[in-house]
Amino acid sequence: MSTNNYFSGLFGGIKSLTTGLGVTIKEFFTPKITEQYPENRKELKMFDRFRGRLVMPHNDQNEHKCIGCGLCQMACPNGSITVTSETYEAEDGKKKKRLAKYEYDLGCCMFCELCVTACPSKAIEFSTEFENAVFDRSKLVIQLNRPGSKVAEKKPVAKPATAAPTASATNNNPKTPAAV
Amino acid sequence: MITETFVFIILAAIVAIFSILSVTTKRIIRAATYLLFVLFGTAGLYFLLGYTFLGAVQIMVYAGGIVVLYIFAIMLTGKTASAGQKSLGMAKRAAALVASLIGAGLLMFAFISHKFVSLSLNAETTNESAAPIKEIGSKLLSSGEGGYLLPFEAVSVLLLACIIGGLIIARKR
Amino acid sequence: MFDFTTVTQWIDNLLTSAMPTWAATLIECVLVALAVITLYAVFAIILIYMERKICAFFQCRLGPMRVGKWGSIQVVSDVLKMLTKEIIDMKNVDRLLHKMAPFLVIVASMLTFSCLPWNKGAGIIDFNVGIFFFLAAGSLGVVGILLAGWSSNNKYALIGAMRSGAQIISYEVSIGLTMLTMIILTGTMSFSEICQQQADYGWNIFRGHIPAVMAFIVYLIAGNAECNRGPFDMPEAESELTAGYHVEYSGMHFGFYYLAEYLNLFICAGMASTIFLGGWAPLHIYGLEAFNNIMDYIPGVVWMVGKTFFVVFLLMWIRWTFPRLRIDQLLSLEWKYLMPISLVILVMMALCVSLGLTL
Repeated sequence: MSTNNYFSGLFGGIKSLTTGLGVTIKEFFTPKITEQYPENRKELKMFDRFRGRLVMPHNDQNEHKCIGCGLCQMACPNGSITVTSETYEAEDGKKKKRLAKYEYDLGCCMFCELCVTACPSKAIEFSTEFENAVFDRSKLVIQLNRPGSKVAEKKPVAKPATAAPTASATNNNPKTPAAV
Repeated sequence: MITETFVFIILAAIVAIFSILSVTTKRIIRAATYLLFVLFGTAGLYFLLGYTFLGAVQIMVYAGGIVVLYIFAIMLTGKTASAGQKSLGMAKRAAALVASLIGAGLLMFAFISHKFVSLSLNAETTNESAAPIKEIGSKLLSSGEGGYLLPFEAVSVLLLACIIGGLIIARKR
Repeated sequence: MFDFTTVTQWIDNLLTSAMPTWAATLIECVLVALAVITLYAVFAIILIYMERKICAFFQCRLGPMRVGKWGSIQVVSDVLKMLTKEIIDMKNVDRLLHKMAPFLVIVASMLTFSCLPWNKGAGIIDFNVGIFFFLAAGSLGVVGILLAGWSSNNKYALIGAMRSGAQIISYEVSIGLTMLTMIILTGTMSFSEICQQQADYGWNIFRGHIPAVMAFIVYLIAGNAECNRGPFDMPEAESELTAGYHVEYSGMHFGFYYLAEYLNLFICAGMASTIFLGGWAPLHIYGLEAFNNIMDYIPGVVWMVGKTFFVVFLLMWIRWTFPRLRIDQLLSLEWKYLMPISLVILVMMALCVSLGLTL
């Protein structure tokens, strides 16, 4: 405790206070990040990493990449994913498993993204869509694979158009099959 | 002229009413508040007379004084004192009566025996002869005739003693 | 420079020619009171809007945007809401004092508000001890706050009021000392004379150079504390005392505290602009006659209000930058730092003036 301490404390304090003032005045003039949501919903773009809800991208041949392995269902801590698979006889006579129904309960999803990490074929992902409100809880249970869809073949020689999986991402409600 | 008289009557009424309320109320904080209004009324009288400096001093000193009084009243009295006290005993009543009679007698004596210089209120307020602040300042710090240097310094020594006393009471042991 | 006394003289002559003197005085008093109350309310609305916007901008937000263009009538609707809310009566409180406290606060605030010189000849309260009267009237507000805290019969309110009392009494010392510094420079306590001097010889902050700038900074800090704002809002610390001394108030009684808080901010800034930044005096640069002439065309009231809002912005900048101080830090800031510094400034200014070092 000395006069030295007193003055170094005083000037150090003044210096740090002016630093703080500098930071805030810079913030004052930066563009504001507020989204005025209902007004700008036409041009509002959610940032990429936002986890709105789970989707299964389909390409324009109505094909998805899910192989029905059920790893996502195992990974889900809340049990919000139910994968139902069926066996069928392929053309070469082998018995194969394929996806019949992929049910996702948005109501008990906690958006941890463990299912996406667990998926070996990158068939599911989170979309940035966030207007998820519905009037009935039963509407929160969504079937992710579209009716009549099938697994994309491993070799994309025959179907080169596997790009643009996100194009149909926002519109895969089971009630309204995609019209892509 | 009539305006001044009117304002004076209002201020005098404020002072009189709140003085009576201040001593008749049983709650200590209320008493302090009424006292504050009495002092405001007095300050108003000073302003009416054109003694703006004195009026400002009155508000400054006594508003601060009332704050201290509040703090004392809050910290040094219990719940009973702030909620109202029991009525006094017979002996205390008699003593209070005697004391106030003596006080009133002394005041009346001083009031009657004093020779008031008749001055019209209006003349007082219009000319700024009512002690300009420069004169007050130089009188306060002059050691010549009519100077107040000695009392001024004595007061400052008193305040210094108060500060030291406060420090000694409040210091860490 | 336009002298506002011509207007007041004209009104006075008009009234005295039509009626007896006492009636004319009465009408003038009522007119002035109406003007003060209107200005008070208008500035409160502007300040609250400004505070919300500036706070938002410092936090990278937009603030109110929905009600009116850029949220401009948000505050008006808030005021209407406040006016229609119920004033709740409580049990076991001293009802008279409880109802009186907000009025004391607002009276003190209005008294100091009417000290501000708006234009040449447009000061409402203006006499030879103006600054002293300003300080005296300003110290009344704390009575209302203490009374509110005590009469609420609530321990949070009482703690808040006690803190506020300690804080305001402490910081008044610094405010008084810095004002004294400027009184040494100007040699007068009357607001009109202070402004006239600054119009003639330049703003005080330039005339008094180093000590004046230091005094200005100390005044800003102490003034912020005096308004119970910014990093010094211990008395109403929401997180620990819910709202401090006005926790038990509702409706317009709370509104009075809210109003007085913002107007005290404005008054503090207005006083800073009066005694440091020249009040209604326009900016003159020595040697640039053409520039000075242009500046003279801007009316004094615009200068005064503009400077005041500039200082208000500075105070809001401080408020939205720094975190709240603890009560012991708050008191040690005043007694260990600001008061010794302002004493040093006082001596420096006295030396400057006596040695003729002022500009």
